[in-house]
Amino acid sequence: MSHSLGQFYPVESPLHALDPRAKILATALLVLGLFLVDSVPGLVVVAAALATLVAVGRVPLRTFLRLLRPVAFLAALTALFQVLFSREGAVLVEWGVLQVHEGGLWLGFLLAVRILLLVSAAGLLTATTAPVALADGIEDLLSPLKKVQFPAHEVAMMMTIALRFIPTLQEEGRKIMRAQTARGADFDDGGLLRRGRAMIPVLVPLTVGAFRRADELAEAMESRGYRGGEGRTRYRELRFGFRDALALVLVALVLVAGVLV
Amino acid sequence: MRLELRDVWHVYAPGNGFELPALRGVSLTVEDGEVLGVVGGTGSGKSTLVQHMNLLLAPTSGAVFVDGVDAGTLRKSELRRRVGLVFQFPEQGLFAPTVEEDVSYAPRQLGLAGDEVRGRVRGALESLDAAHLARRAPYTLSGGEKRRVAIAGVLAMSPEVLVLDEPTAGLDPVSRERLLELVTGLRSAGTSVVLVSHDLDEVAEVADRVCVLEEGRVRSIGDPAEVFYADPEVAPATVRVVAALGNICPGLGRPVRFGTTLQALRGLLEARG
Ligand SMILES: Nc1ncnc2c1ncn2[C@@H]1O[C@H](COP(=O)(O)OP(=O)(O)OP(=O)(O)O)[C@@H](O)[C@H]1O
Ligand SMILES: [Mg+2]
Repeated sequence: MSHSLGQFYPVESPLHALDPRAKILATALLVLGLFLVDSVPGLVVVAAALATLVAVGRVPLRTFLRLLRPVAFLAALTALFQVLFSREGAVLVEWGVLQVHEGGLWLGFLLAVRILLLVSAAGLLTATTAPVALADGIEDLLSPLKKVQFPAHEVAMMMTIALRFIPTLQEEGRKIMRAQTARGADFDDGGLLRRGRAMIPVLVPLTVGAFRRADELAEAMESRGYRGGEGRTRYRELRFGFRDALALVLVALVLVAGVLV
Repeated sequence: MRLELRDVWHVYAPGNGFELPALRGVSLTVEDGEVLGVVGGTGSGKSTLVQHMNLLLAPTSGAVFVDGVDAGTLRKSELRRRVGLVFQFPEQGLFAPTVEEDVSYAPRQLGLAGDEVRGRVRGALESLDAAHLARRAPYTLSGGEKRRVAIAGVLAMSPEVLVLDEPTAGLDPVSRERLLELVTGLRSAGTSVVLVSHDLDEVAEVADRVCVLEEGRVRSIGDPAEVFYADPEVAPATVRVVAALGNICPGLGRPVRFGTTLQALRGLLEARG
């Protein structure tokens, strides 16, 4: 099994043991708070805190960094845009129509680091929280909205199933790619258009398979008595304890420190 | 062509906590023009093994040789043409609007000319009794028909070795029989076949040699009679019957196929009157 973003990493750790609601809230807090952190020391504080949490959560650092790789590309692209198109501060480099400004450089850096930290935080949440626990947590946190007819249970269930199937679809995609490679498919050569076309023999069966899987899952769930959130009991009851409150406070403190330094 | 795997190891997900050595030093050969049966429990590494035969998976250590040449030095596309690999449930890879377009995919990828492509498609579909399906849409076919079309899609490359990963899983007895006929037909035409299967009876019927995998290692390999009679617990029904009767009626020999077993038993009964 290859570990990928959004996948649960099943080991035992203090982070795994926390109430999912505490982890979801802490992650949300971190994601929002990150936009207030705008100094290098601040970013360092948050990054150090996240690195510590990764270690506490017993997710191997190498695995964790690997799942950041695809996002790193996105972050780099965002940074590049900022660097090339922002016109703030002194001009550092001028090359034809291209100008690199001091402000742009800083903004690009800031955005890229924020994206990476954000994704790390989300990745840490899903790596240390079993999908079912995640769904229960989300449902609980959204449950006040049930009063206004918001389908909290259904939304939570949809999110979990989506998360749960990302790695499955990835694996399926890889398998179909190998099968088509055995029939002479070539995914590495040629320009963008050609590579896009080469993906058709993968995307068609993948889509068909996804729909079939969705059907099967729905039938399997119904045949095992699933009928939505009404009157449903839980296998594991959630308990928000002292530890969870403490964790939440700690994250808040880290953020305050990140904003202030 | 002669295919050789030498001390092949394969580790999935190396170094991330889910590390799993699926193959632990497998050495075997696929001789020119033979049918090699590969059996073993689920998770024993059969699918992992066969994907090394055309280097879809690279060995973590060890090497694969084609006619004595390190397969790693051959062009990948060439290797994949010469060693045709049909995955488990190959029908999941059907994607084109019609059967003939789907089967023509591999020959077109090889850059063959139009006439040659059409010839290959017709030939491959005919070998699988599927010529009449050429204009149908793959998704309208029955399970067995889809399976045959998917196999034709690999056969259209005219491979020198055809590797079939559980080709009969989920097929009815008649389709199964037909597929085994294809295997023996290919052998008479000089193509080697690697047949992975959970069905020991069908392996006994067509294999020239058998390889038993267990937890990523070769537990035994060789003549089907040798392999199966050494271990009658995991042997086809024919062998289990003869092994069970062996002590009360010696002289049955060591038949493996259904036909030869029947003959031996009939001979014995007739001799006793
Ligand atoms: N892509 C993969 N990533 C990680 N582990 C894998 C992967 N594919 C297979 N494995 C593992 O490798 C081992 C061998 O799997 P393999 O599919 O080769 O077995 P098999 O003999 O073909 O089984 P079956 O009879 O069920 O098809 C199993 O333990 C399996 O869980
Ligand atoms: Mg298999």
